Amino acid sequence: MMLLLRQIILLTGKDLRIEARSRQTLGLVIVLGILIIVVLGLGLGPEQLTNGASATAALWVAYLFAGVLVFEKTMSVERHDGALASLLLAPIDRSVIYVAKLISNLILMLILALVITPVAVVLFGFDLSAAPWQFVMIMAMSILGFAAVGTLFAAVVSSTRLQGGLLAIVVLPLALPLVIASTQMMIQLFRDGKPIGGTGLTVLLAADVLYLVTSWLVFELILEP
Amino acid sequence: MTATDLITADKQSPQADALDWVIRAVGLSLHIDDRAILHDLTFDITAGSYVALLGANGAGKSTLLHVLATLTVPTAGELMLFGKRVGRGNPAIRANIGMIGHQPMLYRDLTALENLVFFGKLYNVKNPIDRAEELLNQVALSHRADDPACTFSRGMVQRLAIARALMHDPKLLLADEPFSGLDMASGRMLENMLAELHAQGKTIVLVNHDIEQSLAITQRAIVLRQGRIVVNAPTRELDLETVIQEIGIS
Repeated sequence: MMLLLRQIILLTGKDLRIEARSRQTLGLVIVLGILIIVVLGLGLGPEQLTNGASATAALWVAYLFAGVLVFEKTMSVERHDGALASLLLAPIDRSVIYVAKLISNLILMLILALVITPVAVVLFGFDLSAAPWQFVMIMAMSILGFAAVGTLFAAVVSSTRLQGGLLAIVVLPLALPLVIASTQMMIQLFRDGKPIGGTGLTVLLAADVLYLVTSWLVFELILEP
Repeated sequence: MTATDLITADKQSPQADALDWVIRAVGLSLHIDDRAILHDLTFDITAGSYVALLGANGAGKSTLLHVLATLTVPTAGELMLFGKRVGRGNPAIRANIGMIGHQPMLYRDLTALENLVFFGKLYNVKNPIDRAEELLNQVALSHRADDPACTFSRGMVQRLAIARALMHDPKLLLADEPFSGLDMASGRMLENMLAELHAQGKTIVLVNHDIEQSLAITQRAIVLRQGRIVVNAPTRELDLETVIQEIGIS
């Protein structure tokens, strides 16, 4: 167990060190995320700018598209110069590579969320003060499921010639249950003042578990050097 | 001596089973779609031997090396490495394999030292920093230890890739055209390193387009032609003309 943990920390540390040095992913996705929020804010018009549901929707669009870019970029690091083959040759379980890549993606998504969420909150006048921690919890659960499935398909897509938009085409439909469930809960929470729970939470939990377990199991079968 | 004689002579060698083998392939085949890349390959490679894998472009040399490295799963046949059958998983088997591939298998944004230390830790190497510095010294890259790999020339990247492959002191080294991109001095350095590793008892499988060099530095040659073994014989029994003829180079 300690060995697995050490290997996961080693691989995640390597990903974050590469990102810190190259700044290829974060710079790009943060700019993209802010642009999406601003463009949607301007496009929706002033009457929508105090609408919590619009803010949540705009945030989701930003998370989804910036997230796809995060997954693609972190996996492309392994494809450059055949680095992935060196990981596959190493005496580590392939599921370790998946877990480490998932954690790296989650950390980058967290940084992205920390930057673009305040932008959306300010631009849309979204009052989070009624339930800030529930908001964080719903978003964290949604992003976990999204990253789980995004990490898997980034590995699949990176080994094909059909890169570019393919990852978005594959992953965005799979993110729909997460988007629908979290948006429903946000509306319950901020518009109706109801606590989170019920079907929305069940769907979110079920999707997280399903995506995590399936991706973890399938990852080692699809990984090609 | 004809190719058939060479293969048959080797198969019937009374010493073959008595020796410790590192690689045993029985009926190894690889089909991609309907195309046979490797066809019914049967051979042993004994511990401590230095083997050249020769063939024309597309003969299946690199693919075979990938199969031996456990990176590609054969569609038929059986592969045993270090006495264990290769299947999915096998981290213990992989811990004994080092590979120099077509690509450097390095992280271009990490420095030379960071790359080696990372792989050292992945293989549980004791004192990975000391080992990395020792290898950087051997491949004459000590002065660039703290520079990112993306700033290196092709030859330097290749030398770093060699150091990476040796970081965990593997028992079996699979080298796919390791001399490509190296200047004469670096090529000689690598030749000496491989000879030293062979002297230490490591098993080396070398894919090399320079047939003359391969015959001079290795003990045994396996020649592939369209995915089939056409020659498997000690290099002392082979001459350049025969090998060129068997490879099928006009």
